[in-house]
Amino acid sequence: MIDLVFLALSFFAIAGGMTMLFYKNPIYAALGLLISVLSIAGLFALLSATFMFMVQIIVYAGAIMTLILFILMFLNIKEEDLPPEPKKNILIALGVVFMIPINLLVLEGVSRLPESDMSIIENGFGGIKEIGMKLYTEWLVPFELISILLLVALIGAVVLAKRRDKERLKNNG
Amino acid sequence: MASLTGYAAVSMILFSLGAIGVVSRRNIFIIYMSIELMLNGINLFLVTFARYHFNMDGQILSIMVVAIAAAEAAIFLSVIILLFRTKKSLDTDMFTELKEGSE
Repeated sequence: MIDLVFLALSFFAIAGGMTMLFYKNPIYAALGLLISVLSIAGLFALLSATFMFMVQIIVYAGAIMTLILFILMFLNIKEEDLPPEPKKNILIALGVVFMIPINLLVLEGVSRLPESDMSIIENGFGGIKEIGMKLYTEWLVPFELISILLLVALIGAVVLAKRRDKERLKNNG
Repeated sequence: MASLTGYAAVSMILFSLGAIGVVSRRNIFIIYMSIELMLNGINLFLVTFARYHFNMDGQILSIMVVAIAAAEAAIFLSVIILLFRTKKSLDTDMFTELKEGSE
């Protein structure tokens, strides 16, 4: 049963990634990435990471993908605005040829590790309470640094998206 | 099927799809989404090994990765808006402002 769910979720994750790679229109690519992100959330649930499952759905599917789709529709991209990509397929083939040995190397290393039971654990591993206890005791300093990083990103986005004075003068005159 | 190697294979394939997208596409939106896909592959790898070693540090690292991805989304998308406003294009070959010798 778990194998079946795993196969279906990984198929959808990889198919969404392929959609993103091959489609020319960024809206279709964003929808493919959305499918991929949701399937990865399901894989997190299979790995008994319940908090990561929620974070993935709320932050990725809920916030980041919505932001991307919003910006795509806000910019109102026409077909002629899309860059021509004449060498796309050749570059994808070259990339596949380059990436396959790296993947095989990593998988060879991983497959030599001792086998372990990967079934779902029910004693709260990865739950919100256990993660919170660990995050606020052992990982407190990195957590605070991440919050400062998010503040800096917020200020940076506001400053970047603001209209400059020079630009306004140029547009008016 | 749902073994350590299976999960590692899925996450490596997702990472590779993202890396191939970054080098092969010219649309800056697709490049951004490829970066997100690479981060997702890395997250899946971290959570897989957290489960394998029965240790939640990997999950906490992947939460940090999600937070950094959110910060990156804000900055990257506002830069894309600025570039699209000035250049009216999504082609990465047009964005050569900092290149030596370009006007």
